[in-house]
Amino acid sequence: MFTRHVSRQLAAYIDGALSPQEAARVERHTARCAECRAEREQVKFGMEALDCLAVVEPPDAVWTSIERGAYAPAKRVHTSVNAARMSACATAAILALIGVAYWTIAHRAPAGEWIETDSKSSTIILVGQIGSVEIEPNTRLRVVTDRPDEHRLALARGEIRARISAPPKLFFVDTASGTAVDLGCEYTLKTDEDGAGLLRVTKGWVSFQWKGLESLVPAGASCRTRPQVGPGIPYFDDAPERLQQALESGALDTILAEARVRDTLTLWHLLSRVEIADRARVYDRIASLTPVPAGVSREQALKLDPETLGRWKEELAWTW
Amino acid sequence: MLRIGTAACILATIGLAQDFKFTIGNAVASQDFQMKTATFVFRTEGCAEPSKSRIGATAEGMVKGERRSVDLKVMTSASKPGVYAVYQMWPSEGDWVVSLKGTCAGVNAGAIVPIGPNGFVRESTKYFARAATGAEIDASLKALAKGAKK
Repeated sequence: MFTRHVSRQLAAYIDGALSPQEAARVERHTARCAECRAEREQVKFGMEALDCLAVVEPPDAVWTSIERGAYAPAKRVHTSVNAARMSACATAAILALIGVAYWTIAHRAPAGEWIETDSKSSTIILVGQIGSVEIEPNTRLRVVTDRPDEHRLALARGEIRARISAPPKLFFVDTASGTAVDLGCEYTLKTDEDGAGLLRVTKGWVSFQWKGLESLVPAGASCRTRPQVGPGIPYFDDAPERLQQALESGALDTILAEARVRDTLTLWHLLSRVEIADRARVYDRIASLTPVPAGVSREQALKLDPETLGRWKEELAWTW
Repeated sequence: MLRIGTAACILATIGLAQDFKFTIGNAVASQDFQMKTATFVFRTEGCAEPSKSRIGATAEGMVKGERRSVDLKVMTSASKPGVYAVYQMWPSEGDWVVSLKGTCAGVNAGAIVPIGPNGFVRESTKYFARAATGAEIDASLKALAKGAKK
């Protein structure tokens, strides 16, 4: 019995782009065809992996091959095999052109170069092989280092959106009042020339540091930074408004009263930033929201023992 | 004597996995940067040997009135034993929940994790001391459709 394989529909099927009838046909077929099932798994993983890929620069050979293709003498084709080849070549050329168009926009900037956008322009720069940075209008930044072991930008003013796919601590952005250290993430960072700014993380973690002060900001959370003060206390974007306002005014009673389990992110950071007299109140509030894990003692936590706080943070992160 | 020994072994085995259960969290909870794009991560608790546990997941959905089910591959953390990641391998349209099931030393655990427009819905996640039943999954899908989304 002959069977129509469904290889060509697999990507659309995984994307949910098929009609219910087509999707049902793919499901029926893959249920009895081991070959297509295996291919479906490969396509799934491929699509998933795409999400993690960094943008890379095209090799010079891309230009050469396009130019060669554009000026090559046309050949007559007669057979269906040749037609298929031509079709494949055309597709490849179109893809290459799209790639080049993208890479023309997303370029590499050498260390030391200043990049400035006006109110109507924006651009994208590549961060080695590990990601890209979109530079919004009215932004001024400098590429400080561009080495495999350290990619560092200095954001003088404006807004950037970073997408990094790499092990932690390879990508840094300096501002006047803090350095954003990538821990595997996507985020936006905006600042004015004095250093008043906002970090908002959409994936992964960012460590926001300044003169020994560190704020850990996970996906879904934000952190303000102020001139001469550095990174503030991070908070989830869906935190109660009263809590967010209280963070601005420093109203500890309100912060403690409004905090939800998830806001232990905020409380954990507060623990080491409030006056000693208030530290126990913060500890007790966290303990009332979620059980204190084994290995975390009140005494050590109030002493701000780094190991204890680290262990507690790892456990609290399951509620963030 | 042999019976007592066997019974003691069985009890000890059950004891090791007495409170076997799942905990769900954001991708960052894994502390594993390779999992940062996961829809959510989860860990097993009460399982002395996570490497010997059996973990599975399916996405269960309702798309345009049609019930759909997608087998999911669960990624295991290389650095944190007992920590796993679930990635979106189901269509973006429709209502979906992820059904987790696991077995450790003969003890079962399950969970139904609703997926909302902003990711998984922690507040509506249901935990079981067994795999969730089809009826429980259907009920969660109905609740999701009624607006239990984040």
